[in-house]
Amino acid sequence: MEQQLVVKTTDLTKRFHGVHAVDNVNLQIPKGAIYGFLGPNGAGKTTAIKLILGLIYESSGSVTIFGKDLKREKLSILRKVGSLVESPSYYGHLSAKENLEITRRILDVPKSRIDEVLSIVRLEKEASRPVKGFSLGMKQRLGIASALIGNPDLLILDEPTNGLDPSGIIEIRELIKQLPEQYGMTVLVSSHLLAEIDQMATQVGIITKGKLIFQDSIDVLRKKAVSKILIKTNKAEKAWRFLLSAGWKGTLSDNNIVFPGMSDKKVADVVKSLIHQQFEIYRVEEEKMSLENIFLEMTKGEQTL
Amino acid sequence: MLPSLMYTEWLKLKKSNVFPLVWISPLLAAVTGYFTMFDSGANQWFDPYFQMLLIHAVLFLPMMAGIFSASVCRYEHQNGGWKQLLALPVKRSSVYLSKFFIVMLFIAITQLLFFIGLLCVGMLQGFTDPFPWGMMLTRVFMGWIACLPLVTLQLWASTAWASFAAPVALNVILTLPNILVSNSEKFGPWYPWSQPFLGMLLGEEGDFFYSTQTLVFVIIGGFIIFSIGGLLYFKQKAV
Ligand SMILES: Nc1ncnc2c1ncn2[C@@H]1O[C@H](COP(=O)(O)OP(=O)(O)O)[C@@H](O)[C@H]1O
Ligand SMILES: [Mg+2]
Repeated sequence: MEQQLVVKTTDLTKRFHGVHAVDNVNLQIPKGAIYGFLGPNGAGKTTAIKLILGLIYESSGSVTIFGKDLKREKLSILRKVGSLVESPSYYGHLSAKENLEITRRILDVPKSRIDEVLSIVRLEKEASRPVKGFSLGMKQRLGIASALIGNPDLLILDEPTNGLDPSGIIEIRELIKQLPEQYGMTVLVSSHLLAEIDQMATQVGIITKGKLIFQDSIDVLRKKAVSKILIKTNKAEKAWRFLLSAGWKGTLSDNNIVFPGMSDKKVADVVKSLIHQQFEIYRVEEEKMSLENIFLEMTKGEQTL
Repeated sequence: MLPSLMYTEWLKLKKSNVFPLVWISPLLAAVTGYFTMFDSGANQWFDPYFQMLLIHAVLFLPMMAGIFSASVCRYEHQNGGWKQLLALPVKRSSVYLSKFFIVMLFIAITQLLFFIGLLCVGMLQGFTDPFPWGMMLTRVFMGWIACLPLVTLQLWASTAWASFAAPVALNVILTLPNILVSNSEKFGPWYPWSQPFLGMLLGEEGDFFYSTQTLVFVIIGGFIIFSIGGLLYFKQKAV
């Protein structure tokens, strides 16, 4: 059953001077999802998000939001999209209220929305002083308030917790988690930290070097994290070759024969045939791979920080 | 959409220190106008007017055109304003137009204050000659119209250049040789920084050897070219 997609990109590509910052990306974000857009620094997250918002123009491919083509119906799409791209945007010489008034006026929503969103991000008390004196966390919250003011159906937050202290991170995470339920929003949130996505996302897309290398529900990603079976024998290489010839494709590492996630039955069969061939079995171990390890493995060679 | 955008432009500028700048040029010009030393023998009002032009139209008006243009882009460059603004449901052409209209509004206010300054000078001096309303209003208006190419050119530079100081500095440098260029029959009308001055001299072509026709033609042409160029640039600008 095909779920309704709020965001769908088709072979979306952006080149900067011949270098692919976003390379044939097919994002699919179902309605009501919190889509964690994960990737190391420089992977292409911000570029993809800017393409989705029409802030920059694609080299090829297309973007469909709410089932409408971004190029053709940009304004009606953007009316229902709230966004915070990269570092928070603000007019430093104006107060939080005045900043929100600017967005409110353009979106033409009731004045009462200003106080509503200020209270959602808990900035009521600071609402009247110039934003340039705000801490990064407060600016970030103001940015989210501004993104929420038009009651968007799609909220796009690019690394909203970047540079925040732990309590600020938790606060924003809790805020994001309640949005789909409480307001029926779909959320696209990017991060370079898996742990963060793991704690709020329902769907995950992993991008590295411009390519989307994984996209599915968080549960599928977690299942990938299950196990490796390690078998230690007296003659590792000989045993490994024997198993290969018998049709069991393992790998040899550190004198262990390693198999990716195997059923109990298969493990039993392998052990049985090894014993049959007079190999001595010292250990049969299961190694659980953490999500973090998977992520590192997938994005190998990239700096994750 | 345009009225909302213009209102938000006003919100951004009202709390900045740009708006008070509209006073500077008319005020300084009025002071020099009050101390006008020459007497041409024509209608009394023209003497301080020409004196005031040397400060206002030769120097400050082109500079203000650059400063106002840079100011409407300043806050967008500073803290990611473009990203936030252009991710809202607004046409880029409307954003561009709203900024252009605000700049032209500021220049109109400057011109109005200049006009009032001239009236004050004359009243303080107790001029008895009748005030040449038609002539003066036309000239002040022409000064405003003559800013169109310069404003659209500066707006183009200011949207492209993620800096406040750079386009303003360039503008000042290009304003300085103004009086020399204005004296050139050949180049004067073609130089956007001279056009406001020549526009406000309207009817005095004899002294400055340019034809009003050429000037008007070049102003309209420059305005069309620079506004289309600036708009096309802004529409595809990567934010
Ligand atoms: N305007 C630009 N010009 C040239 N290269 C760019 C530009 N913007 C981004 N890039 C490059 O594109 C790649 C992806 O960047 P970005 O989308 O910002 O990554 P992320 O947000 O995942 O950290 C990086 O290698 C970056 O250097
Ligand atoms: Mg980024």
